[in-house]
Amino acid sequence: MSEPLIRLENIVKRFGNFTALGGVSMEVHPGEVHALLGDNGAGKSTLIKVLAGVHQPTSGAIHVDGQPVVFRNPLAASDAGIGTVYQDLALNPLTSVTRNFFMGREITKGTRPFGILQTAEMNRITREEMARIGINIADPEQAVGTMSGGQKQTLAIARAIFFGARVLILDEPTSALGQKQQLEVLKTIKQVRSRGDIAIILITHNEVHAQLVADRYTFLSLGQVIGSGVAEDLGGEDIRRLMAGGAQMADLEEELAAIH
Amino acid sequence: MASTTENGAGSVGAGHQSEADRLKEAGWFSRLVHRPEIGAFSGMVVLLVLLALAAGDVVYNPLGIKNNLAIIAQLGIIATGACMLMIAGEFDLSIGSMIGFAGMSMAVMLKWGLPFGLGPASPLAAFLITLCITLAIGWLIGTIVVRTRLSSFIVSLSFLFILRGATEVCFRTFNGSTQVSGLPDYKQTDFFAALFGGETFQWFYDVLFWLGLNFNRAGGQWVTGFDAKVAWWLVIAGAAWFVLSRTQVGNWIYATGGNEEAARANGVPTDKVKVSLFMFTAFCATIFAATQVFDTNTADAAKGNLKELEAIAASVVGGVILSGGFGSIIGVVFGAVIFGLVQNSVFYISWIDGSYYRTFLGTVLLVAALSNETIRKRFTGGI
Repeated sequence: MSEPLIRLENIVKRFGNFTALGGVSMEVHPGEVHALLGDNGAGKSTLIKVLAGVHQPTSGAIHVDGQPVVFRNPLAASDAGIGTVYQDLALNPLTSVTRNFFMGREITKGTRPFGILQTAEMNRITREEMARIGINIADPEQAVGTMSGGQKQTLAIARAIFFGARVLILDEPTSALGQKQQLEVLKTIKQVRSRGDIAIILITHNEVHAQLVADRYTFLSLGQVIGSGVAEDLGGEDIRRLMAGGAQMADLEEELAAIH
Repeated sequence: MASTTENGAGSVGAGHQSEADRLKEAGWFSRLVHRPEIGAFSGMVVLLVLLALAAGDVVYNPLGIKNNLAIIAQLGIIATGACMLMIAGEFDLSIGSMIGFAGMSMAVMLKWGLPFGLGPASPLAAFLITLCITLAIGWLIGTIVVRTRLSSFIVSLSFLFILRGATEVCFRTFNGSTQVSGLPDYKQTDFFAALFGGETFQWFYDVLFWLGLNFNRAGGQWVTGFDAKVAWWLVIAGAAWFVLSRTQVGNWIYATGGNEEAARANGVPTDKVKVSLFMFTAFCATIFAATQVFDTNTADAAKGNLKELEAIAASVVGGVILSGGFGSIIGVVFGAVIFGLVQNSVFYISWIDGSYYRTFLGTVLLVAALSNETIRKRFTGGI
């Protein structure tokens, strides 16, 4: 077993009286997909925002490569190699794939900010990096708005990796997509996983998708870890039950059964 | 390069249709018709032909070309500024008032001397001091917009009134009346004034004369050159085109207007981009004013009225989308040609009431806005 790339130790996050995370611990290993599952309000979003440097934990520690780190802002997290791909993907639909890939980090000759764009080189890199994780784009100068949802997701992922992400946080990457597109994204996730050097945290609602790609699971409910484990040890039934918040679900089923 | 692509993509689409293939068919023709400036270009060609048929020689004789291009260039200068700012997602409604303010500032200094009794003003000094003031106002407008997150429509509308009022007050305070006239003809004696008010591309008319196409009734050369503002327009539009399409900051401008949050998340200094562009529109308005002051040797408080709306309209006709993130300088060049031509030439067509030009422009604007919206939908809302 490889060393964890990132380890969370007893992360607590309170907003005033409200405890969003009540002591969450998890480990993410390179070359693995770690599925973070839980119902709405379980604390998934808060957890990834802590990882991405948007929120600072009230207590607890984050270790990257075994070293404790503190992310004061999103930039610090991304410098430490944590790349977050949010649901809106941070893309500009009206400009080209290349211009989006290099948004804010253009390759230029000459002095900033009037340096001349090295368009041919950027097009080449964009095409190659997209191809590496399995999407062959015909024309890197096509507008992003003309791409499919799955392709856009891939673009955002490829961009995060190219600019140094070692931990890739994917926030509900399949939620707004059609069936075929969802599979395409899962394929992309597996491609990234097969590189072996990148750890992926996959946040999802969909246990089927998690089962297709995940190596390890963490289940959150009401800000607590209610279950975790590697894929081999967990059956589909466990996953479904834990996802829905464990015991709560059994109660609900009973209540449902009681209504005629 | 092609081989790396194929290797890397091993698992995708080997043999069957993948998503990417659906766009492969885009050939040069389809690329051409999907360019943002194609609508404006077609409109311009149609207009040029119609004018040739309806008005003919008056529009295309040497003097007609000179006069048309002068109007087009003036509009083109401020439309370039408006277009860059609109692509970054903001408006500047203060352009017209800024023109009036800058013209007042230069003319009053030229007539009454530098501020604080520093002696008479040379054209260069009057221009530079004015430029410092207008750039500072542009910076202020931009800073208010990015700091308060108020809509630039409201902030720049406020400055439309503030600057117009300030212009009139300054005129009365320093000059006694709201216009300056009878300034010396600086462009004859001063190199710098000639840069703005003189003529340019004289060789064009020399060649026409030599070809026998440019002589007056006495048999001498008729028109001697284009107004200097034509050269200013070409320089400003050329520089803006280069910056927008070829440089890093160009990509920042598109990113800022297309998805500001995303741009910021990716490290684009969106606030700096916007403030710089508000300063750029102020710069364009100042150049506009300088070409006017040094050409006519006059200034008055009403100069530049409604020009901000014409600049925005020319940008929209040129394919710029109101919500930002999309557009091109080349399109706006065509947009300025369309607007300037109609403004100037309809009066040559004897059988049309000249005032129809506004009706016509309004219609063109509406059609352009609708077609831009179609483009935007195609890119953002799928096919």
